[in-house]
Amino acid sequence: MDVSHSVKERTIAENSLVILLQGLHGRVTTVDLRDESTATGRITNVDAFMNMRLAEVTFTDRQGTVSRLDELFVTGRNVRYVHIPDEVDIRATIERQLQAIHRVRYFGGRDKGRKEFPRAKHK
Amino acid sequence: GVAMSFLKRFPPPAEGVRHQQPDTEAVLAGRTLGAGTLYIAESRLSWLENSGVGFSLDYPTISLHAVSRDLNAYPWEHLYVMVNAKFEEEETKEASMAEGEEEEDSDDDVEPIAEFRFVPSDKSALEAMFSAMCECQALHPDPDDEDSDNDYEGEEYDVEAHELEQGDIPTFYTYEEGLSHLTAEGQATLERLEGMLAQSVSSQYNMAGVRTEDSIREFEDGMEVDIAPVVAGQFEDAEVDH
Repeated sequence: MDVSHSVKERTIAENSLVILLQGLHGRVTTVDLRDESTATGRITNVDAFMNMRLAEVTFTDRQGTVSRLDELFVTGRNVRYVHIPDEVDIRATIERQLQAIHRVRYFGGRDKGRKEFPRAKHK
Repeated sequence: GVAMSFLKRFPPPAEGVRHQQPDTEAVLAGRTLGAGTLYIAESRLSWLENSGVGFSLDYPTISLHAVSRDLNAYPWEHLYVMVNAKFEEEETKEASMAEGEEEEDSDDDVEPIAEFRFVPSDKSALEAMFSAMCECQALHPDPDDEDSDNDYEGEEYDVEAHELEQGDIPTFYTYEEGLSHLTAEGQATLERLEGMLAQSVSSQYNMAGVRTEDSIREFEDGMEVDIAPVVAGQFEDAEVDH
């Protein structure tokens, strides 16, 4: 599973459920969009802002017209709902992603550790 | 043709252009706007017809984009871009107003949506166009996102050092650092011990326990007390095989 190269994005992922979506890389998933359209395809990337990239997509627009899209990028803002496949063990997926982030964080060894942010700003 | 009031004349973007695709037709809601060049720049997406007029789209208004090769859905392979904004189509608007009826899509509760298609003459460029758009889109995260607590405060800190609970406190002193932490008494003790160490190294075969004249001090009651550290030499005449 791919872990972001960005310190900020890792921190965001670690502290939100985006980390669950990132654990779905490679899985065929249905995403409901804000405008009532839906996209079913293989997740190829989810970033910390919940921008999602899918491949081999069956797209149903808000009028019900179905078409196929080779690749689709939908902004996080426009994702209303992600249908987690039934066979996905949600807890195990989150734990696996957290481990992947920690491996990246400690890869550099002592004194070469990644820098992270100590806490979130409260608005 | 149809007057597209949103078309303006402007110079092509010069900075941060991730991808540029000439000979690309722009289509809005099924109506062609002509042939021109698509500029996928970090600041915005722009299309300029060969005559010099065109339009720009801001990434925060773009809901999604995709590569469509489904010729049943649309007869040419293209980059599909869905925008969360209204773009005027003069003819349609006048027609619906004249009839006094509202179109289904003009319901105020529904968000405005405009569908653009960018059809490059070079179909093989679609992958690069799509990727360039993904990259630029990622540069514009949603500013209205209040749900996610994405601001982090405080200085960045070394996670490893923190977790090992080092911070600024070392687990051992170097010689110079340590010396400065000793009291006067401590320093005297250190010197004495170092002296003993130096002596035992230099007189390798001397052993402990011999009293010398120097080490005896007489007390008032005549008792002899050893007060100096033991001086090596007890078994001086012994043969030592190490």
